[in-house]
Amino acid sequence: MPLNTGARQTISGRRRMAVTVVVLFAVVGVFVVRLIDIQVVRADTLSADSLGNRSVEQTVYGSRGNILSSDGDVLAGTVMRYDITISPRNAGEFTRTTDAGTVTVTVAQAAAEIGAVTGQTGDEILGIISEALAGDKDSDFAYVDRKVDVEVFREVGDLDIPWIYFKKNPSRVYPNGAVAGNVVGFVSSDGEAQAGLEVGENSCLASTNGVETYEKGADGVRIPGSTVTAEQVVDGGDVVTTIDRDLQWFVQQVLAEQAQATGAAWGTVVVQEVKTGRLLAVADYPSVDPNNVSGTKNPKNRGSRAFTDSFEPGSTFKTLTSASVLDSGKATIKTHVVAPYRYRPVNGANVNDSHRHEDEKLTLTGVMIESSNTGMSKFGELLSDQERYDYMKKFGVGSPTETGFPREDSGILHPYQKWDPQTAYATMFGQGLTTTALQVASMYQTIANDGVRMPVTLVAGCRQADDSVRDKPSSRGRQVISAAAAHDTSDVLENVYANSWVASKWEIPGYRVAAKTGTAQMPNGKGGYSRGYLVSVSGFAPADAPQFVVSVSLADPVKMNTSAASAPIFQKVMSQALKKYRAVPSGTPAPELPANW
Amino acid sequence: MSDNLARVFRPNGQDSWAQALPAARSHIEAVAPRAERRARPRIVYALTAGAGMAAIVITQLLLSVGISQGAYEISTLQASQVELGRTAESLSEDLVKVSSPQNLAANAAALGMVSNSTPAYLRLSDGAVLGAPVSATGTPADVRSGASGLVPNALLAGVPLVTDLPPAGAQGTGIGPAGTHGRSADARAAHAPAPAAPATPPSGLPSPSTR
Repeated sequence: MPLNTGARQTISGRRRMAVTVVVLFAVVGVFVVRLIDIQVVRADTLSADSLGNRSVEQTVYGSRGNILSSDGDVLAGTVMRYDITISPRNAGEFTRTTDAGTVTVTVAQAAAEIGAVTGQTGDEILGIISEALAGDKDSDFAYVDRKVDVEVFREVGDLDIPWIYFKKNPSRVYPNGAVAGNVVGFVSSDGEAQAGLEVGENSCLASTNGVETYEKGADGVRIPGSTVTAEQVVDGGDVVTTIDRDLQWFVQQVLAEQAQATGAAWGTVVVQEVKTGRLLAVADYPSVDPNNVSGTKNPKNRGSRAFTDSFEPGSTFKTLTSASVLDSGKATIKTHVVAPYRYRPVNGANVNDSHRHEDEKLTLTGVMIESSNTGMSKFGELLSDQERYDYMKKFGVGSPTETGFPREDSGILHPYQKWDPQTAYATMFGQGLTTTALQVASMYQTIANDGVRMPVTLVAGCRQADDSVRDKPSSRGRQVISAAAAHDTSDVLENVYANSWVASKWEIPGYRVAAKTGTAQMPNGKGGYSRGYLVSVSGFAPADAPQFVVSVSLADPVKMNTSAASAPIFQKVMSQALKKYRAVPSGTPAPELPANW
Repeated sequence: MSDNLARVFRPNGQDSWAQALPAARSHIEAVAPRAERRARPRIVYALTAGAGMAAIVITQLLLSVGISQGAYEISTLQASQVELGRTAESLSEDLVKVSSPQNLAANAAALGMVSNSTPAYLRLSDGAVLGAPVSATGTPADVRSGASGLVPNALLAGVPLVTDLPPAGAQGTGIGPAGTHGRSADARAAHAPAPAAPATPPSGLPSPSTR
């Protein structure tokens, strides 16, 4: 019996065990399937769902980089502005708790309150609401005002109107206004770069907005440690320019005063550092205030003509011809020529001077002082067309400078094979080719710097968040003419400065200066010349140890159509540069070279 | 879960063990007291485990209270940090604006200063005068600071010149509103309604006290 009982017990025990095991595995199986379903199959959907209920996604605005002067002054910066938006369909009465108790505020009252802060009238705001509702009766969005600053944002926020919302709108601000405005450029109201360095250096300045999500509790408080950065925000780099803000302002001020006094259509001034080729100031008149672009009516005045417009340089170009001839050794500063009023070279060209005169016995120095076209022709023809063309190319004529400014003009320099007889001679005294103000400044920089042309530099680099500087420009110069030829040319220019008919207008006491005037007819846009002149002065100082090149151009100064209009600008700008940078006054007198024989 | 499994399996284990050693061992019941002894653990363990669990629960409770307390604090501090950041940004914006050359020059001109365009230097080592000193002459340049200036700056609309500010109490600077130029007041009036301009002008430039 006990055996039997034992066997039965064993059998029922086995069954029980089998059932238990099966049930157990079934249960575990169900759990496993569910687990895989949740953790693997639907994991992403579920976690997204759960996050969606609790998490808040927000855009983290990257800030566009600044454009800085050489001293780090902000020429263009980014500030946070706010758009005030409204939900028209929700615009209605609401209650507000004040010290005096709960009061009901009507839409009209609220509109008047907003208007008082934003400078609109209450009716205007009511108009915005009704207009939006007329377009779409369920309208949930309309702008009340855009790009308001922090104070307005706070005051409107303090009104506690439930149907007012704010949107961040990072905006561009130019604290120095029109100082370097034409060079810095501007952005559209949507933040798109539109002109100047804003466009040219956009790859450095541009930022990338990021996205981060965080979880919030039922009361809207952020849960600690729940912030997830979905997309990293990248701030733009800072563009460090070579512009000296204060000098730039001074130059623009002086240029504008003289341009208005002489009735000029436009003008440019370039100040360049001799040793480095850096542009310390590039002034344009009329100038543009990037804070108020529409205040400058003519779109042509919103860019920088110094970079983008080329013109026939006229007599300032004779310096290049002289330097080329001196460098080739075909003539010296004392070589004699006879300069008639009219000169007809054997190739059939016809050259004459600006005013009638008897034949003059001049040296190269004399030709430059008199600015004689015929005299210069007799020197220029000592070189072949190809030789002169090669010199011009080496001086940077016919190719844009190294600044990288958007749409910089290269000027027009036809290959010498295509020069007709007249052009072959005209190019000796700055006609038949065009140059930008920068190219002219660069020519004088080369002569001032012992014949070494430095790359024209406007941007010193793109400064990153870690203070490292990317995209540094090349600072390697190129020997264009011999140092001796450069010094001789400089001596000639000093004599021009001392003996020119505008000598009293550009005199800087205490300093030796080398300079040359130019007067060139301006194209009328139809292939001919207009009656207006482009009057210019280019030069450098101190001539014994050159530091600054100043190149001034005034277009069509109707009240004074000669270089006498541009000479005072040269005088003031050069004095200011010498004063600001504490240039030591020259101790020695300028060399006196014979002009006649 | 594992605890449950163990309990389910234990009787089975005994069964299969009993099956492996049939007949002779089937009557053995003497193990029961040992099992009973095992089933009655000492009370101190239970207390320890209970206390441990209670401690964990309380600690976790306190911790989460602390964390959420911190969360509110962080939230408040972050809010005030944002506000302070906004204030700082707006102030530095004002600062760079008033430090623009237009504002400086307009103030200098309003105080009657003129620029001298012929520099000269005194060398300290030997007292030599370098350059040709000439006294500054002429009228102050036309340097209005606002949008109407030759080098306009729309941001300066509404920023008063030092000469427009009321004298600073007893510590007068000697520069009263007498020097006020009508044009700057006009410029201000003309640009007052510009919505983009800040509502409150900065408190002006400090002027030196020279007596």
